[in-house]
Parts: sequence; structure tokens; C-alpha cells
Amino acid sequence: MLILTRRVGESIIVGDDVTVTVFEVRGDAVRIGVEAPRSIQVHRQEVYEELRRANEQASSPTESAIEQLRGALRPSEPGTPGAAVKRAAPGEASDTQDAAGE
Amino acid sequence: MITVQTEQLEVAASMSEQPTPEAHMPQLYEFVEPIPGFPDEREFALAPIDPDGVLYSLRSLRTPELRFVVMPPAAFFPDYSPAVDESDLASLGTLDDLDLQLLVIVTVQDGIADATANLLAPIVLAPAHATALQLVLADPQLPLRAPLLATAS
Repeated sequence: MLILTRRVGESIIVGDDVTVTVFEVRGDAVRIGVEAPRSIQVHRQEVYEELRRANEQASSPTESAIEQLRGALRPSEPGTPGAAVKRAAPGEASDTQDAAGE
Repeated sequence: MITVQTEQLEVAASMSEQPTPEAHMPQLYEFVEPIPGFPDEREFALAPIDPDGVLYSLRSLRTPELRFVVMPPAAFFPDYSPAVDESDLASLGTLDDLDLQLLVIVTVQDGIADATANLLAPIVLAPAHATALQLVLADPQLPLRAPLLATAS
């Protein structure tokens, strides 16, 4: 691994067209700017790794799982009486939420 | 520079419409960036799983046994209308916001009780160009695994 020392405002160049600039250092946090062509996606590593795992987990569900999902959707609209179904709202649900109700 | 732009594009509005009859034909999409985790898969066929247009399959042309279950988010997440940085979509081709469609990937192991949807990284489709992209949204509050049902048993 190449390790370089840079000061605030200084940059490194990766290849011909990726520039990484140190903007601010505050305690153990560093603000970094990345200039890259559109064809290069830039992600926080932990976000990318989580997304990769989630995609792998989502890939190729079994026919029976899909059939059950279809079956659950078919008979009635979510939220109709007796269905005991409440729609999740974005933001309130997360993977750390305990989804088991009483 | 990767920064949040003030000029933003609402993608979800175009998905509130019901799929048109043509949507029931398989449609081919080329991912302009591979889906993370699947670097070699670029072309996928989108086809409905159920006649009501709730669930779709996204199947790899190169590896036919690889498929994802995707859906328009409106049925389960009516308030989900993420703001999308327009510059993130430039790789999809010339943009007309009416052209864009948003789908979320569903993870299902056993059935609806454990099914979740990825609201953090939806798939954006540009049907006019037959291009697609899994876009990581800037809002860190968006869940990677949002239960379809708020009350699971």
C-alpha cells in the first residue's frame, strides 16, 4: 500500500483522471473530496460492502419464496381488515429495527 | 467533485402510474454500472411476475439462473419519493425526467413476513435508452432492508 502525507488543500491523483483532495482535518475525521469521471462510482467503503451483501442476499430467491410472496399479495390489498398489515414507512424501518409486533 | 446538488430530480412520480400493457412484455436493460456484487452481469430482462404489476423479475441474460425480484415502491412505500441528484443519472443517457422509472430490490427468504426492500439503493430505469443503474442515494437514513410489513409475525 502506498502511504502518503498530505496537508489540507493538497491532493493526490489516481490514474489520469481521479483526484482526491484533503479538505479538512478535525480530530480523527478527515473531509475528502473526490473528483472522478462519471463512469467511476465513488462510495464509502462500508456502504458499498453492505450493498454488495444485500444484493447477494437478494439474488435468486427460491420459486417457493416468490410464490409465497405472490400469494400474500394476491388476496387483498395490504391494510384491509383482517390482513393485519401495516405498511412500513421509509425512514422508520431499518435493519436494526425489531420488526416483531405484539 | 462529488457534492450534493441543489438541483434535484423527482424520479418516483413517474412510477406512481400503473405499468402500461407494454410493461408486460420482457424489456431488456443494460446496466451502465454493474450491480455491486455482480461485476460481470450487465444485461437484464425485466418481466412481470404477477398480473397486477406488483412484482417483477430482473433476470440476467448472461446467467439466466440469476434473478432479482423488484417492484415499484408505491404499493408498500407510498411516501418513498427520494430526491435524486441529476448528475448521478447522466450515465443513463439523455434525460427526460418523465422517462425514468424507479424500482426497489426485494429480498425474500420465506415469504412476505421476512421480505424487505432496499430503499437506500433503488434501481433507476431509463426505458427510452434501455439503460439502468443501481443508485446509492445520499440520504443515510434510508434503510437497506425495509420490511414490507411493519408488523411481521
